[in-house]
Amino acid sequence: MTDDRALVERFLRGRGEDAFRALYRAHTPALYALALRLTGGDRGEAEDLVQESWVRALTALRTYRAQSALRSWLCGVLVNVRRGRMRIDWRVVDAPDVEPLADAADPDDAIDLERAIASLPDGARDVYVLHDVHGYTHREIAGLLGIVEGTSKSQLNRARFLLRSSLP
Amino acid sequence: MMDLPRETAPAPELEERVVSALVAAGLVRRRRVWPAWAVAAAAVIVLVLGVTVVRSRHPLARGNSYVVLLYEDSTYRPPPGGDNTERIAVLSRWADSLETHGEFERAGRVVGPGELGGLFIVRAADDAAAARIAASCPFKQWGGHIEVARFEP
Repeated sequence: MTDDRALVERFLRGRGEDAFRALYRAHTPALYALALRLTGGDRGEAEDLVQESWVRALTALRTYRAQSALRSWLCGVLVNVRRGRMRIDWRVVDAPDVEPLADAADPDDAIDLERAIASLPDGARDVYVLHDVHGYTHREIAGLLGIVEGTSKSQLNRARFLLRSSLP
Repeated sequence: MMDLPRETAPAPELEERVVSALVAAGLVRRRRVWPAWAVAAAAVIVLVLGVTVVRSRHPLARGNSYVVLLYEDSTYRPPPGGDNTERIAVLSRWADSLETHGEFERAGRVVGPGELGGLFIVRAADDAAAARIAASCPFKQWGGHIEVARFEP
């Protein structure tokens, strides 16, 4: 957090290229990983998403107050940028409560899981990635996506159910 | 929670693309002032390790010395064929035009690892004039990027 604050303050002092590159290198791998999953593995779209997210983030960087981790704030920017690019059907889907999937210790299992995540419907995928992969709470997801917590929970259950059905 | 990686390194080219977009949007400023340590390093390159190509034969204009650094970064796209002759000729003509105004001091090609491909030491009345000289460098037609900074040998 302290490092992030220092990086942000350094950048805001002069908006210099070097200061930005430090921010970029510290946080883009996380943004890109999130973007890849949210776009179903589309590298070109993920790169566009990361680029637009940095533009939005730097436009609003003065509003970042270090109350949350910079990375979480940036990921929120990215999620909102993506939402602005697409229409999402946020219908609540009734689904039974489903437990999280077991850890994917085997690399082949992880690859299967990545593919299965990519094949999820957009709304379910977004919630699943934010909750089960990146550790956001339902409250945070609801705030990020502009939905109620119940919808976030339903979408997560739906995602887990679909993943269980599609994985060997 | 699934044990999937939370970080994935994007293609290196994305960094330049993002920086260019931010510069174009006015959200990031390109480097304009080269750090003192780098200026010192450039001086070492020129005076000790560098390969001096041309030295000015004309009296220098009044003002200060500036180093114009030519970076062959990921956006650098030299003409196909790998022949430097044409590029050197283009840069030499530019140097000649500066020299007639007493604005050219010396130039060198940097050999070795890293993106710094070459540099010019020019003479300018002030920072703004130095920036104008750097902006007129034909190197930009091949991509890459150019930086300029006060040079104190």
